[in-house]
Amino acid sequence: MRKLNIHQEAKKVSLEFQTRRHFLQQCRTGMGMLALGSMLDGCNYFGGDKENTGLLNANPLAAKASPLPGKAKSVIFLHMAGAPSQLEMFDYKPALQKMDGMDCPDSFLQGKKFAFIRGVPQLLGPQASFKQYGESGIWLSNHMPYFPSIVDDVSILKAVSTDQFNHAPAQLLMHCGTARLGRPSMGSWVTYGLGSENSNLPGFVVLTSGGRNPDAGKSVWGSGFLPSVYQGVQCRSEGDPVLFLKDPNGIDRDMRKASIEAINQVNQVAYQEFQDPEILSRISQYEMAFNMQIAVPDVMNITDEPEYIHRMYGTAPGKESFANNVLLARKLVEKGVRFVQLFDWGWDSHGTDPGTALDLGFVDKCRQNDQAVTALLMDLKQRGLLDETLVVWGGEFGRTPMQENRDGKQNVFKGRDHHSDAFCMWMAGGGIRKGFTYGETDEIGYHAVNGKVSVFDIQATILKQLGFDHTAFTYPFQGRNFRLTDVFGKVIEPVIA
Amino acid sequence: MAPTESGKPAIIPGDAKNSEMIKRLYAKDLDERMPYHEEELTDQEKNILKRWVDQGAKFSTHWAYLPVQETTVPSGGFFSFFQKKDGNEIDRFIDQQLNNVRLQRSKEADKKTLLRRVALDLIGMPAPKHIQAAYLTDSSAQAYEKLVDSLLNLPAYGERWTAMWMDLARYADSKGYERDYIRSIWRYRDWLINSFNQDKSYDQFITEQLAGDLLPNPSDDQFLATAFHRNTMNNDEGGTDNEEFRTAAIIDRVNTTWETLLGTSFACVQCHSHPYDPFRHEEYYSFMAFFNNSRDEDTYDEYPLLREFRNNSVLQYDSVLNWLQTKANTSTNHFYKTFVKTGQQCINSLTADSLSNAALEDTKFLRMRKNAWARIRAVGLSDKQVLYIRYRMPVKYGKLDFYASSVDAKPFASVRIQQTKDGWQLMAIPMQHFFDGRKDIFIHFDSPLLKSNNDNGPVFDWFCFAPSFPGSNDPAFKTYFQTFTDLLNRPDAELTPIMMDNPSDLTRNTYVFERGNWLLKTKLVEANIPSIFNSQNKSYRNRLDLARWMTDKQNPLTARTMVNRLWEQLFGQGIVETLEDLGSQGASPTHQQLLDHLSYRFMHEDQWSIKKTLKRMVMSATYRQSSIVDKKTLEKDPLNKWYARAPRVRLSAEQIRDQALVICGAYSNKMFGPSVMPYQPEGIWASPYDGRTWEQSKGEDLYRRAIYTYWKRTGPYPTQINFDGTAREVCVSRRIRTNTPLQALNLLNDSTYWDLSLKFAKDILDKHPKNMDQGIVDAYETAVGKYPDPAKVKLLKNLYWTSFRTIQKNPEKSKALLTDSCINRTHELAAMAITANAILNLDEVITKN
Repeated sequence: MRKLNIHQEAKKVSLEFQTRRHFLQQCRTGMGMLALGSMLDGCNYFGGDKENTGLLNANPLAAKASPLPGKAKSVIFLHMAGAPSQLEMFDYKPALQKMDGMDCPDSFLQGKKFAFIRGVPQLLGPQASFKQYGESGIWLSNHMPYFPSIVDDVSILKAVSTDQFNHAPAQLLMHCGTARLGRPSMGSWVTYGLGSENSNLPGFVVLTSGGRNPDAGKSVWGSGFLPSVYQGVQCRSEGDPVLFLKDPNGIDRDMRKASIEAINQVNQVAYQEFQDPEILSRISQYEMAFNMQIAVPDVMNITDEPEYIHRMYGTAPGKESFANNVLLARKLVEKGVRFVQLFDWGWDSHGTDPGTALDLGFVDKCRQNDQAVTALLMDLKQRGLLDETLVVWGGEFGRTPMQENRDGKQNVFKGRDHHSDAFCMWMAGGGIRKGFTYGETDEIGYHAVNGKVSVFDIQATILKQLGFDHTAFTYPFQGRNFRLTDVFGKVIEPVIA
Repeated sequence: MAPTESGKPAIIPGDAKNSEMIKRLYAKDLDERMPYHEEELTDQEKNILKRWVDQGAKFSTHWAYLPVQETTVPSGGFFSFFQKKDGNEIDRFIDQQLNNVRLQRSKEADKKTLLRRVALDLIGMPAPKHIQAAYLTDSSAQAYEKLVDSLLNLPAYGERWTAMWMDLARYADSKGYERDYIRSIWRYRDWLINSFNQDKSYDQFITEQLAGDLLPNPSDDQFLATAFHRNTMNNDEGGTDNEEFRTAAIIDRVNTTWETLLGTSFACVQCHSHPYDPFRHEEYYSFMAFFNNSRDEDTYDEYPLLREFRNNSVLQYDSVLNWLQTKANTSTNHFYKTFVKTGQQCINSLTADSLSNAALEDTKFLRMRKNAWARIRAVGLSDKQVLYIRYRMPVKYGKLDFYASSVDAKPFASVRIQQTKDGWQLMAIPMQHFFDGRKDIFIHFDSPLLKSNNDNGPVFDWFCFAPSFPGSNDPAFKTYFQTFTDLLNRPDAELTPIMMDNPSDLTRNTYVFERGNWLLKTKLVEANIPSIFNSQNKSYRNRLDLARWMTDKQNPLTARTMVNRLWEQLFGQGIVETLEDLGSQGASPTHQQLLDHLSYRFMHEDQWSIKKTLKRMVMSATYRQSSIVDKKTLEKDPLNKWYARAPRVRLSAEQIRDQALVICGAYSNKMFGPSVMPYQPEGIWASPYDGRTWEQSKGEDLYRRAIYTYWKRTGPYPTQINFDGTAREVCVSRRIRTNTPLQALNLLNDSTYWDLSLKFAKDILDKHPKNMDQGIVDAYETAVGKYPDPAKVKLLKNLYWTSFRTIQKNPEKSKALLTDSCINRTHELAAMAITANAILNLDEVITKN
């Protein structure tokens, strides 16, 4: 009975919490007074640094303390959509080289389902050469010439597993804790739990490159059953960086200021009439909108960055690129954005065409990626931000040690099918152990033999570094308390410093 | 209370001292003490339990699971003489509760405010001019009622309530998931509009949606209604397991049925018995069995599809029907009619297995290559004499053989197929031998033109075993058979996914999934409703039985759920705030008696009429009161739980758009038809593979109501999402209102609203060419529906003249602002457009006052 009571109590409280009306009830007096104050002060509320004013109490994105002490304040999650081949990047398998061209042993195929492999495929040796680097002696392939310089700052997870072998469901599982649609994404959970440090920027920003959205679409940054204010805001490289941010042609800042002032003042009169606190909230949202119009283009503009930074990242301002997005990610966390999610499309190396060939298109992707992510870690480090920024890198699953034979026919180029049993990810900063490798796969990189971790474990670890117990961080929906990690997940303690 | 394993009852009503359950609370031994291995209860908690047992240990079923009873309308008791007697019965319930908290209802809102409120609520937009005028000039006591009646009779009424239902049905114009291809299901949206406008009784409304296909001789409309549950997502991503995503769709249908129609969260029972509500794990799957026999299999073409024929195809269809009527026996007639109308009973090629040099290409279609084999399991062949196939063939010719049971026997059907052009081709292959019962079918294909094993042969969509097309001894047979095949090959028809059940030889069994895992099938179950609702152990076999249970007046949930939902639409919050859960996991009702009163009236007096129920609600004095609140009331009831004032609620995404269209004079009243694409910024659609782009509509299609805007699941219309619309992936039956800067940016800068502001400004200038100040007053009045406060006028005038002076100094600005260069008085127009845009952004405009 006791448990039930506590549970029901908690549920009731959070149900009350999920409506903004409750929120407004709680904050009514404080916010009302402040908003009124700024009105009566002669409407000078556009000036100055508003990043930490009390007005933000009206904001569901106001910064909140984490329930437990956390090492990381923000997260940059670099997702290589399509799933990069671990066997050409981090998981060195000399034995696989020797077995190149041999039929895949039956024991690996028994009871297995693949996305495209049919019948008996052949093993495919690594399409890269490997060496050990740094004091940690971590193995890296020749496709990543920059990475050795920061390899001693990262923890590489070599035996990550998932239970989905198609892109969209696996991406959903990685970000929303389920292969189905309709649940909040990790960034939504985190901004729901921690709010944002900067009121003039969205708390959860999404950047995409590679010309396409990830396979699972916008749902991987959706807010699911959480209020929509927590969904990721896609900042775009072309057009408005945030939808509808730019004023119509011919409207300058002064005119915009005048119109927002007029709207807010009329609303203020309406407030006198109706006494509805929601009106005050709206007034502050219009102020924030005005501030965002300055703050967002400012942070999205990388042309002001010094030349050495551009050289370091390999950035070319003015077009959509992964490198640009990585540099933007650094700028965003610097400004207090809580969660930055990058998706880079084009890692689906099936070997059906040159772009997806392991010895062609894939090598280009590695090179672009390597320089930018190395620069990101170095840059965060030199700014003293790496300790409080958790950087996570990976795809939605891995790739098979076998050459793909789509629909039973050998593919034309060197390529690998989707593989869910073992793949590599890495984490750095935000209290993660430095220069460390965790987990190991068998001699051809097919199964994990030790240190196997699941996608849920990754999520649990990210939440832990932000100051959450993933089993206690819940939200009630459809009659039960939901978690990002569903009923799974275990913090990967060995990779925590 | 019955004896436990130890022989003693755990609870003896009235005797806490001797009740084992209570004794255990005080036990010293930790292995004895309850709760087992948990922290000890506090003395206070123990006392509560003790008192409860001493008082007789009474417990009862949660109110939401007991049938709705007629409720006595509160009379006001001793003080009734002093109480207000305005409005209707609803107000008696409201007043009773208000009395308890010592609050009073507010006075009636002024006429104009009420006019705007009730129009936004009932038709989702401002009332047409003539209806406004009739109401405002009518000073009789019946003026308001007449207004309500005329609004309920407008076609716009159906559109407004369809907007609500589209969320519940998770309506979208695309299939979802990775590829997110187009889905043509707008005929279902139109069905909703018509049903609401006809005021189809709610029991019929949901029966048709759940089981229209199972009604006797279903009409096209009844088939269309079942598209309700074909709005589930369909996964076309290559390599995905169709069975997995079919299962996901079935589960979604179960959860949506409960959440939408029964106001109960059922999803949790998928994995375990419900911890608080009386549902057992197994009952989830018994309920799933109602839906699990549906024919759809996550195929690319989304079979079964209803074919609604057009033009020449209508004539062809009629002539085939006539032929069948005169030539076929009843069962053959029925078979062919269903086949022509819905394409059933075909077997989807993706169910083939035992493949040899064949593949399920992209996990969608069976592809055969050189010397290829495939099998289809357990096909019912009794009374089947002909085999129809739908295929495409890339090479000049090849031979196709069909074997039954074993490949050693002679083929029962053989045919030489030729290269196809223009897509899929239908072919009829007569069977040489006939069979009884079910047989495994083996298919063989080969062609000497295929050089290597990897060269592609034919690809198949489906196979259909059928009785012979009737009338073969009639000289006209050839003509009619040709008409029939032409009709199936190239129908001029609107195709809409619908629900149909499997024919008897394809019936599916339903199993309990262990802890919700669809791969771990355990116990076989039969369709049934949860036992708490089935004390008489009646048999419920299919979706039609299910619908009959749901629309039975003894069903405790159906009416309450809908009444609560309608109340929420008008009052901004439900009587039970958690619309999705009336049970013990939901919020407590604020006015349970009122909910029951209205639910009872809904079923019994109003015969499930939604219009009548809405009218009851909007006729109440509670609805009609002013929303202005004083400090004392706000402090006492900040959430307005007790309705001492009318709620002030921000408009929905749909209402915001539709209202703006009307205010600015741009609204097109065109109804029905395929979804349209109004202005949308570049780059919203970027899903991989689907290759489609947003092609902006032309003419009046740019200015149609929000429900007609194309809905792509992976790239929903931004304004809709900014204003709390849901992504329509799964059913989310309650939108949680937010107030964000993105909403401000949307209304300030979106080209849609800028374009509308310009149109609005032009109207105003035309009407008030000389007097700008008067124009501003008029603009405000048009938008808010009443004459503005002088303070507001002053502020808006100020904005106009500030903008005007800025533009006068920088004339290039008005050029940039105005897209149309050949208009006079550009400065005035630009300044007025800025002012009009500000008006569209006012809190009073986007809020129901």
